[in-house]
Amino acid sequence: MRNSAMALFAAGFGGVPNFIARAASNKKIIAPYKKNKVLVCIFQRGAMDGLMAVSPYADASLKTLRPTLYMSPAETEGKMFDLDGHFGLHPSLAAFAPMFTEKRMAIVHGVGSPNNTRSHFDAQDYMESGTPFNKGTASGWLNRAVGLTGHEASPFRAVSLTSAMPRILYGDNEALAINNLQDFAIQNRANAGTANIAGKSFEELYDATSSDILNKTGKESFEAMKMLNVNNLKNYKPAADVVYPNSALGNSLKQIAVLIKMDVGLEVAFAESGGWDTHFNQGTTNGLLANNFKDFSNSITAFWKDLNNYQDDVTVMTMTEFGRTAFQNGTGGTDHGRASCLFVLGNDVQGGKVYHNIKSLAREDLEDKRDLPVSTDFRSVFSAVANNHLNIHDNKSLFPEWDENVLQMMRT
Amino acid sequence: MNFKRMGKCFFVSIILFALSAFTQKTFVEKYKPKFPYKKAGLTKREAAAHLLNRFTFGPTPNQIDEVLEIGLEKWFNQQLTETLDDSDLQKRLVNYDVLSMSTEQIVNTFPNQGQIIALAKSNNIILKNTDTTAKGKEEYKEQLKQIMQQYGYKPVAELERQLINQKILRAAYSNNQLQEVMTDFWFNHFNVSLTKPQCLQYTFTYERDAIRPNALGNFSKILLTTAKHPAMLEYLDNTLSVSTNNPLSQKQNNNPAAKLLQQKLTDMANDSSQKNSAFLKQMLDAKKTQGLNENYAREIMELHTLGVDGGYTQNDVTQLARALTGWSAMPLLRDGAAKKLIDKAGGVEKLRERGFIVDSIFLFRADKHDEGEKIILTQTLPANGGYAEGEKMIEFLATHPSTAKFISKKLATRFVSDHPSDDLINKMAAAFLKTKGNIKSVLIVMVNSDEFWKADVLREKIKSPFELAISSVRATKAEVQQPFQLFLWCTKMGQKFYYYQAPTGFPDKASYWINSGSLLNRMNFGLAFATEKIPGIKLNLSALNNNQEPESIEAALNIYSNTLLPERDNSKNIQRLIPLINDNNLEKKINNVTAVKNDMVLNDKKNNNMIAQVVGVIIGSPEFQRK
Repeated sequence: MRNSAMALFAAGFGGVPNFIARAASNKKIIAPYKKNKVLVCIFQRGAMDGLMAVSPYADASLKTLRPTLYMSPAETEGKMFDLDGHFGLHPSLAAFAPMFTEKRMAIVHGVGSPNNTRSHFDAQDYMESGTPFNKGTASGWLNRAVGLTGHEASPFRAVSLTSAMPRILYGDNEALAINNLQDFAIQNRANAGTANIAGKSFEELYDATSSDILNKTGKESFEAMKMLNVNNLKNYKPAADVVYPNSALGNSLKQIAVLIKMDVGLEVAFAESGGWDTHFNQGTTNGLLANNFKDFSNSITAFWKDLNNYQDDVTVMTMTEFGRTAFQNGTGGTDHGRASCLFVLGNDVQGGKVYHNIKSLAREDLEDKRDLPVSTDFRSVFSAVANNHLNIHDNKSLFPEWDENVLQMMRT
Repeated sequence: MNFKRMGKCFFVSIILFALSAFTQKTFVEKYKPKFPYKKAGLTKREAAAHLLNRFTFGPTPNQIDEVLEIGLEKWFNQQLTETLDDSDLQKRLVNYDVLSMSTEQIVNTFPNQGQIIALAKSNNIILKNTDTTAKGKEEYKEQLKQIMQQYGYKPVAELERQLINQKILRAAYSNNQLQEVMTDFWFNHFNVSLTKPQCLQYTFTYERDAIRPNALGNFSKILLTTAKHPAMLEYLDNTLSVSTNNPLSQKQNNNPAAKLLQQKLTDMANDSSQKNSAFLKQMLDAKKTQGLNENYAREIMELHTLGVDGGYTQNDVTQLARALTGWSAMPLLRDGAAKKLIDKAGGVEKLRERGFIVDSIFLFRADKHDEGEKIILTQTLPANGGYAEGEKMIEFLATHPSTAKFISKKLATRFVSDHPSDDLINKMAAAFLKTKGNIKSVLIVMVNSDEFWKADVLREKIKSPFELAISSVRATKAEVQQPFQLFLWCTKMGQKFYYYQAPTGFPDKASYWINSGSLLNRMNFGLAFATEKIPGIKLNLSALNNNQEPESIEAALNIYSNTLLPERDNSKNIQRLIPLINDNNLEKKINNVTAVKNDMVLNDKKNNNMIAQVVGVIIGSPEFQRK
């Protein structure tokens, strides 16, 4: 079915787009629309409280550390989902439960950076550059990952649904940062009737320019624009029964689904989710954090359902810069801590398990006597996903200055 | 050695002689070379256009004539001396009150939310943040607002707005264009980022006080002023880099009173009935994890001076970090905990007595400096070097041969081509070393090189989004009433300036700026700009043609291409567009839309609309992306 898209474009636009033709002639891949795998990364900015998202309820210390934030699967109201007799999923993340049971979703707990900074900026910077002790790394690891796939670039190979390019996609490989895919068109607000002519004029001029880079990128831009076709975007209908939350994350994931279904060569996509910095009254079954969990899990679940028979091609991985203090603070919230947890969803994932090396929450096992220590380096998770799902096997380039073990969490 | 080569050597030695023979000022005045553009086959007009394309944010209409009248070399010298009258710009900046504020004033006018909450708490103003209902959130916001009013605080967003706007206005309207171009260059070289909250209050004076005054000065000076500015100290974490290897710290720890205090604090932290126990616990834990932070030491060598292949090792990074321990920022927030602590301890005078160095907003904390011996590259720093050893190392790095090459290459990449030759870099580096980092001298060698004028570098640099936006303003003499709108467009086109997160700064090369998403946005920018669909940007396009109406679209294309893109061969592009226009009845389409809207000013509107469309296509065209 998917190859029909190419025929459609070929018929509709008088020929195969340039970059696709180039991709086709590249011997590394057999067909231009050979299903490339897609990795979708979601950054939870602000540091998600991993101990509340996926709570080690069976650890006796938790109740002492968090007298009013403690939750358990035994409670009747807003019941947690018991994952494995030790960890429980927050009730507002209930949408994840079926995917966990079906073994499509894995959770990694106690994950974080070896650099113990508790600054949002620094920790995000390190998690995105992938070099936790080096600020000067010019590129982000997701950009390096794109380069390592060895595939010919499509303008939509790496897309971030953000207004500015995120640190994680800085680098030499072309990436697109765009808030709204509908902006990917020639727009003439003053006179819509002439937008078409303006577009043609530009096309003509870029075709003729003596500057190689402007010529080449100009061609690709127009081809990409026609492929994307703004009208298709406006009229996009998700799969039956799928309703995306009308939130920033929901909208971002919806647009990523569009790109995946259009087969425009997407390989990595990036989206953000905010509001995780819960210093005050984060609540338990209800409240600030519960609302955020709901949006987060409903957005991802809607996306997953919407993907339908594209699910085999896609892995979703979440990340957050650090976790929060093991004990609650004086204002019903939690402060900046160390390790948190993350979710990996996809049919390539060895799911249904909480992967972790956490000892206990006893005071002597905490970092600086206050935080869940980092017992799994984020790079051992990111590399696992990149190796298996994106078929990248150069972890030296992906994560320089790191040579530890890759977490065995993907299907082989 | 052939004749040409000999000539080259002779030329270089003359310049080097000149550089050594005169002091900087007399050198600039007395040294009057002829730019070698004729050799490259350029006319004087073409040479003037090239000069303006590279050393300004874009030529204004008729500026080529102005340069010719002054003389190319003299025009360049004027730009180097940075003394042209800028009263027009000053008028436009009159409402930007931050421009005349000190860093201390800025910190105390635009505190961040955390600081406001801390102040409110210390002054016993209760902040209600205990419920997360909509009503509770509203009340909390209202409280914050009241506190801000009570203390006369302004939101940080206003500080960011002024910073961004003043950069746009300066770039668009300053007569001292090279100063602005070089300020842009050095800011990017010594990048700090507003994405880091700690940098917010410092970035304004970082650019104004540390960078702009030194943009055409001496490299050692700009390296030192950036090193000592809180924006950089915070951005690359040097404020966190501390050591206890010094007599003050050891004495402090052995002091019975201090020991007692420490014990008391620990007891309080462990007593959960205490109101602040959690906070104290965190504070004490944080103190325990303090230590050496190598971020700045690494980047000053890798990114600011020697370059990644400049010949240093990880050990040099660590040793330099040790030499810079204690380099920190002066606490400026009135009523802030740190400032109170200093006041309690007897103020700045007392600090100085103890060996601290207070240099305006820079603070050297003698109690946090590692006083052990260090060996860095070829330098041995004996024990007890204090603050001076850091300054010595910065001077050493600033005048290192690797630095001379690294900086020369970066300058040549900005001004000549994305891939400057080794020959040019070596010439510039020689001047750099000879003059101990005199930036003017390096630029003079560059602009006098054959390579600067060679046909294959002409128009080969691609404008950054900021350069595109500002050159559009300058080429059309646009009135920028809402500069921030241009910032939003620059963001769309891929350059959210002041927000580049990595210390590398934006990569200065075409392949970074040009990708399919950003290119479409450049075209859309052209159309939106010319048709006045960017709020607060006013154009008078017919004034550019002495208020004469072009007879046809073809005529308009000719006139405005040559106005916006002077000294370029625009005929081919025009030829390509004409059939398109005729085929599609562009004129008719434009007029149809206009006619419905307004009959009264129909004729005027028709023409303006037509011209605007044409100018929009020119600004979005490939030729206008080149400089």
